[in-house]
Amino acid sequence: MTTDATVKARNAASLGRVRRSAAVDATAVVIILAAAALLYVLFPGSLALFTRMVAIMMLALSLDLVTGFAGIATLGHAALFGAGAYAAGILASKFGFTDPFAMLGVGAVAGALAGIVSSVVILRGRGLGQLVLSIAIVQLAHEAANKLSAWTGGSDGLSGIAPAPIFGLYRFDLWGRTAFILAVALLVVVFVLLRVIIRSPFGMLCRGIKQDPVRVRAMGAPVYGTLVKLYAIAGAVAGLGGALSAVATKVVGLDSLSFTLSAEALVMLVLGGVGKLFGALIGTFVFIWFEHLVAAINPFHWLTIVGVMLIVVVLFEPRGLTGAAEALWTRARGGRR
Amino acid sequence: MKRLTLLALALVLSGGVAIADTIKIGVVGPFSGPAAQQGRNFQAGIDAWLALNGNKIGNDTIEIVYRDLPTADPAKSAALTRDLIVGEGVRYLAGYYYTPDAMAAAPILVEGNVPMVVFNAATSAIMNASPYVVRTSFTTWQTSTPMAAVARERGIKKAITVVTDYGPGVDAESAFVKGFKDAGGEIVASVRMPMNTNDFSPIMQRIKDSGAEAVFAFLPSGPATLGFMKAFAENGLKKAGITLLAPGDLTQESDLPALGDSALGTLTTFHYAVSHDSPENKAFVAAASKAIGDPASLTFPAVGAYDGMYVISKMIEATKGKQDAKAAVEAVKGLSWISPRGPVTIDPQNRHITQNIYLREVASENGKSINKEIRTFEKQGDPGWKAP
Repeated sequence: MTTDATVKARNAASLGRVRRSAAVDATAVVIILAAAALLYVLFPGSLALFTRMVAIMMLALSLDLVTGFAGIATLGHAALFGAGAYAAGILASKFGFTDPFAMLGVGAVAGALAGIVSSVVILRGRGLGQLVLSIAIVQLAHEAANKLSAWTGGSDGLSGIAPAPIFGLYRFDLWGRTAFILAVALLVVVFVLLRVIIRSPFGMLCRGIKQDPVRVRAMGAPVYGTLVKLYAIAGAVAGLGGALSAVATKVVGLDSLSFTLSAEALVMLVLGGVGKLFGALIGTFVFIWFEHLVAAINPFHWLTIVGVMLIVVVLFEPRGLTGAAEALWTRARGGRR
Repeated sequence: MKRLTLLALALVLSGGVAIADTIKIGVVGPFSGPAAQQGRNFQAGIDAWLALNGNKIGNDTIEIVYRDLPTADPAKSAALTRDLIVGEGVRYLAGYYYTPDAMAAAPILVEGNVPMVVFNAATSAIMNASPYVVRTSFTTWQTSTPMAAVARERGIKKAITVVTDYGPGVDAESAFVKGFKDAGGEIVASVRMPMNTNDFSPIMQRIKDSGAEAVFAFLPSGPATLGFMKAFAENGLKKAGITLLAPGDLTQESDLPALGDSALGTLTTFHYAVSHDSPENKAFVAAASKAIGDPASLTFPAVGAYDGMYVISKMIEATKGKQDAKAAVEAVKGLSWISPRGPVTIDPQNRHITQNIYLREVASENGKSINKEIRTFEKQGDPGWKAP
């Protein structure tokens, strides 16, 4: 009888937890959609910028998965983004498959494959060694794309990508409305899926590996295999971001496979807060928008101003913007307690 | 309060009556980062043109909107270009230092009804990316081709080419190899160096071993070029009598002080030298030097920007301030004028600039290194362009 009661209580507790996290997910989706609607109405001239933001958000989300949740240090994550971008671009410009969903699908698959390949190399190292291997990967990918100019356009960039209208109805217009709506829809789907994955036993295992891989192995769970799987998922997300960028901007350049983009994504993630999916979104949004605003006001010295902002954030709030928000929230509640 | 209302009314009325308009020109270029100096040259060329011609065309006032694009980044270029067209409402686009950036912006032009005047990006293919692209710079094919004839005339039979392995480098190699072989010369080897090469000693050894009498080289201007020129002198290739030939990117004026005496005697072919002797160039150099602040950093992108502004002013005149990209581009096809670099024409077929290419030698004049023009190849089109 006691066991029966415990089971019931446990069931009730887990049901409550599921309900609570579903409520959090729903709130997050509402916030994303409301923000997107607000931007759409207030800044109709800057939708191209916001679409680019969403593409980079996917890269930051993907990086958050491997760095924030599994503790893998990488400065080569753009390799996965670039793989998706080039796969989608080559599909459209060389093979003539211009359906946007086919491009996105191929981009995600290419990203996942690139994720598996790079994880096999990166997971050989630890700490600094891991970082160096990740940089090597992105540099190799960059050089390969430069050399294979017949396929990638080399340093001239891959052009001639003309995505067909969505469902044959909504064409990609100059104002970037279609691309923006597509981007936001994708972002919401990816965000919710990632939340589910993180909460799953698999996600718990990844977090366990971050805290103590030796102990996880001692428990009998596979460390290496789990991380490769996680990398494949992260790769699919980054690849989708790359493909979205190819669909929206109609070009792919070597910069999408660059060390600079990898490092920038990490900066955005740190700015927003590592280990939180919302941190990846907020960091990317704030970084790119701030960069855009400052660069428009002063195109000649804006990098200095962005640098100062980063130093201020890292010095005063090392847990990033979401960390700062959380601290404020707990302080407000603590005051009431 | 009453006065304020009257004032407001007057303002509204005058706004409604006047036909004067503000025409925005969006300029995309590298204004920060490693190529910031080239971006400053864009700005100096624009400022020089405005200083000499004023910012009014007819009744319309022109306003320049700058956007920074530090590196070759096509996705960002496309986003910035869209933002300029739909957000800022620019009627003309200009600038674009790197080829990928211009290629990314070109497909947007027709839908945006906006012409684009390229101030620098030097790949032949850009002209085919959109019918609304006009270019006032040069192509690497255009500047490299005459060098092959020069080499043959100077009795060079065997040459080796050494280029950086990226688009413009491959263009330079193809142009020289084609011209040199057509003129009966022999290419003993073609070396392509990776983008980030900093140690050129092994390359110099290969040049020595190849038995070539001359080396044709192309590197993107900047620190690598300085390293290459220094290595060429230090490894004794100059002493061994091997001639260094290159397009003028290698000896741009802003790099000459750092290159010092090691560059003396280098032969280059290019469309513009700051030392070009003409009244048009004197006026331009005076105004542009003032605009850029440090005259030593004035170099070729400034003249591309200056002539680009002339082309845009003609477009605005022809369309009488109306937004009509097609008419604007039609109006400048075949346009001829005297640029600071010499007589130029916009080729009506491919909208690229036809111009003189000069053979120059790095020489010392009044203690300063200059690109001394010693020969003129008149009316050179773009040999690299292929009809689509």
